[in-house]
Amino acid sequence: MKLSEWLICMVLLAVVTPLYAEPGYIIRSSVLMDEPYRDATPLAELEEGASVEILKRKGGWLQIESEGKSGWVRMSKIRKGKAPTQAAAGSEAGGVLDLASGRAGTGNVVSATGVRGLDEEQLKEAKFDAGQVKKLESFTVSEKKAVHFAQAGKLAARELDFIPAAAE
Amino acid sequence: MKFKAILAASLILGAAAVDAFDLGGLVKAITKEPSVAPDSSSQQTKQPGLLGLLGGTPVEEEVAIGREIAGRLLGAAPLVDNQQLQHYINLVGGWVAKQSGRSDLIWHFGVIESDDINAFAAPGGYILVTKGLYKKLHNEAELAGVLAHEIGHIIKQHHLKILKQGQLIDMGGGILKSKVGGGDKGQAIGKMIGSGAEILARGLDKSAEYEADRIGVVLAARAGYDAYALPSVLQEIGHVSAGDSSVALLFKTHPHPEKRLVELGGAMDEYVEEFENGKIVADRFYRL
Ligand SMILES: [Zn+2]
Repeated sequence: MKLSEWLICMVLLAVVTPLYAEPGYIIRSSVLMDEPYRDATPLAELEEGASVEILKRKGGWLQIESEGKSGWVRMSKIRKGKAPTQAAAGSEAGGVLDLASGRAGTGNVVSATGVRGLDEEQLKEAKFDAGQVKKLESFTVSEKKAVHFAQAGKLAARELDFIPAAAE
Repeated sequence: MKFKAILAASLILGAAAVDAFDLGGLVKAITKEPSVAPDSSSQQTKQPGLLGLLGGTPVEEEVAIGREIAGRLLGAAPLVDNQQLQHYINLVGGWVAKQSGRSDLIWHFGVIESDDINAFAAPGGYILVTKGLYKKLHNEAELAGVLAHEIGHIIKQHHLKILKQGQLIDMGGGILKSKVGGGDKGQAIGKMIGSGAEILARGLDKSAEYEADRIGVVLAARAGYDAYALPSVLQEIGHVSAGDSSVALLFKTHPHPEKRLVELGGAMDEYVEEFENGKIVADRFYRL
């Protein structure tokens, strides 16, 4: 590889590597913490709609940078992507969802059918395929195999309660 | 018509009340027996079958109904012809399903030929994921999360409850009664399911979807996976434009991923510590 090619590579790398950061925005006002733990030290308040740079994730926490400050915020308080307009950011359920569902007046909802879509009509007319079900059932693995597979992946079963719906 | 609607509504409300009760009591009950699912098999065998119309035990009926629905779905979208892939999804799914406590079911998982982004659960342990959704996944934990959401529907018998309600309503009209005498089980099941696999195109109650999400993250975490993988998938799917036909059915049958994230995030926030240290398992993930 020529020196000029190396240089191009280096430049490309320089552009790509630091861009691990992803844009995001705060959907519910929250507290920026110095560590990804519930009882860590609060650093600052983050307001709804504020733009952030997402650096990485650890469990349910995201490390972010916002207005020169960096720290950790709960994943549920942040959405990836560019912050919607100020007005839309105000009501997360209304604003973002309306944008996403095309209700915000894009006026031109594409309804071209995919090559192999699965729409309501196709489901209604679907006919039982005995050969396919038998094939599906033939792939089933024994519990022993599943456990062995988990061990090979260093997956250990944990005891955890089911969680109730969040209180309003 | 009006009477039917009222009857259906009251049945749904009834079912919802039972669910809420289950979950409330569950948290404490589960502490001692962590692997017992909300609807444990022992509870179910005490219940009569689906009004006893189909014959067989409740579990046999559940499986027979689910098998019929899965077979119809496969009639519309067959399995991807890739044995390694199908074997892999059964290993992941089998391990996650083991955490559900429904060891009375034999679990079947498959990837089907469709560019749509969707996944389906039919009663009795039949779970099918479209190739379109599978291709969106980045690691094993995400696959586990998706399958765990569907397992949640099955252990909570969400679709089965809808079919039961429909059957009760039909009974009023005397549609099923005549079939029972003949003992034509297949026909009775067919009548109950309706045309094709349309039951899978009918949306469940919003609360049932949120419940399946909450069960999904717990089952994935119990299996040792990163509990936040399912939220990550939702985040990814949330980016697909609602005008895109590949998500038309998913967005019709489920609340928008953004709404699901808000609900799920709120519920999970209390348990951040419990959900720590799950594994992503990216290296052996079977990529399509
Ligand atoms: Zn669902």
